[in-house]
Amino acid sequence: MKTTREQLLATLACGVVLAAAPWLLSDFLLALALSCLMYAALALSWAMFCGPTNYLSLATSAFFGLGAYVTAWSLGTLPYGAAVLAGGLAGSAFAALIGAGVLHLRGAYFAVITFGLGELALHSITYTEKTYFHTAGRIIGDPPENAVIYWTVLALALAAAATAILVRSSRLGTALRGIGSDEERAQTLGVATRRVKVLAFSASAFFPGALGAAMAVRWTYIEPLSVFNPFIGFQTVLIAMLGGAQTLLGPIVSAVFFTLVSEFLRLRFPYVFLILLGLLLIVLILYLPGGLASLLQRRFWRAGAR
Amino acid sequence: MPAEVLLAARAITVRFGGLVAVDRVDLEVRHGELVGLIGPNGAGKTTFFHALSGVLEPDEGRLLVGGEDLTGRAPHVFASHGVARTFQTPRVFREMTAEQNVRFGLEFAGRTRAHAHHAFDDAGTILGVLGLEAAAEVPAGALTPARQRLLEIGMALGARPRVLLLDEIAAGLTHAEIDGAAQLIRRVRDELGVAVIWIEHAVRMLMSHVERVAVLHQGRKIADGDPRAVARDPGVIEAYLGEEGEPVREAA
Repeated sequence: MKTTREQLLATLACGVVLAAAPWLLSDFLLALALSCLMYAALALSWAMFCGPTNYLSLATSAFFGLGAYVTAWSLGTLPYGAAVLAGGLAGSAFAALIGAGVLHLRGAYFAVITFGLGELALHSITYTEKTYFHTAGRIIGDPPENAVIYWTVLALALAAAATAILVRSSRLGTALRGIGSDEERAQTLGVATRRVKVLAFSASAFFPGALGAAMAVRWTYIEPLSVFNPFIGFQTVLIAMLGGAQTLLGPIVSAVFFTLVSEFLRLRFPYVFLILLGLLLIVLILYLPGGLASLLQRRFWRAGAR
Repeated sequence: MPAEVLLAARAITVRFGGLVAVDRVDLEVRHGELVGLIGPNGAGKTTFFHALSGVLEPDEGRLLVGGEDLTGRAPHVFASHGVARTFQTPRVFREMTAEQNVRFGLEFAGRTRAHAHHAFDDAGTILGVLGLEAAAEVPAGALTPARQRLLEIGMALGARPRVLLLDEIAAGLTHAEIDGAAQLIRRVRDELGVAVIWIEHAVRMLMSHVERVAVLHQGRKIADGDPRAVARDPGVIEAYLGEEGEPVREAA
């Protein structure tokens, strides 16, 4: 399809431009750009599955934390790139496991159980570390240069965007939209819904896993509570919903907007910032389940009808 | 030579707690058959359809599609073996356009199956046959309920069925629309050799369009055969008169 190719080319062009950032930006701005890219990739990968299917997954921080621990355990034996890949695969494997178990649940039940399973992963790792390695946290020695981390996260963000574009225009994307609209109807028209859901959920979890692995080296010391921080998952959901989880550009634009605003607020008013965030989430879920993009679309629709 | 049996239900039983909704029902439909399925409210018709399409696993009995035993398999397996259905309350994909709704079946259940006739191989043509070509780009949720019912047929046809299960497609349609739908169903049957099982609440209308009719009453099959003979069957008359006096006799 022509538009798909155009979207992929646009993604590639953005990638080429953004790849120059380490030579152009100050350390502070590069860190900010890194944050934008990370949240764009997280939101894109979340929206890849949750957007069309209307599932609300809160497991993002679990995948992220697992990925981070893969790096913590393997850096030194594995090169950075391999650790990132392994982190992604760990995210996918965990998602496949929990997906096979709980994807028959819907709505709040699914949200709560994915959150709970994330906590389970967190506490399992805490327990394992304490019992077998007698440590509460790990020091990450010899991290790669900031530019390398930036390019890795950029590559992951581009891969997430490309995957989202390809899924949307593929039969997988159609199947996911059918599942979101009426799962049983999709099944009676030939979609192996269970398999499709587990596959897509698992594939989308590669990105938070790999991002966790890539970002872990930014901290010199990591412990379960810092990398399994549920805030990462909430923020991902919020960004995707704010932008419109059904759209492609929505999560990207919203990730940039949100990261910049939150960085500003976090520096100025750390407590008010969290309150604002909570309020925003509530308002969005109540009044704008389709995100800001749905406002725009509605307006276009009306304009078109006139 | 009798035609190939496409769908065979053997002693299908479905229970909901203590209630036996479908009670040891046997039904065989052959290539090219057009069979009506009637019965008073609560007779178990829709539940029987749920079993035939895999949506609901029967507690007992076996289901054979094209000779293959699919008992207990998921609905998508039934669909990929050529069993397509409509739902009594239209269940179109509301956010997708009418054309995307029809294409859905073509892309999944219908993907690897072949049709003998090109008219039913393309979403645009299917919409044309249904008289919905003007609505192709309209989101299905914005169509009238009557048009959603027609679209349901289109979705089922997109799945390239060997067996087509129609659940009350005529409700809410005008007489002209019902005649159109009936003609379409005959055409599908004639051109593709599809076996059709058609549930309808409007018994008289249904009797005039099918060549064979089966009657369910309190979960049991109480009659199966030529519509005129069935309409004279004392058991069938009793079942209807006992309930609400549906005008079966007028069909004769």
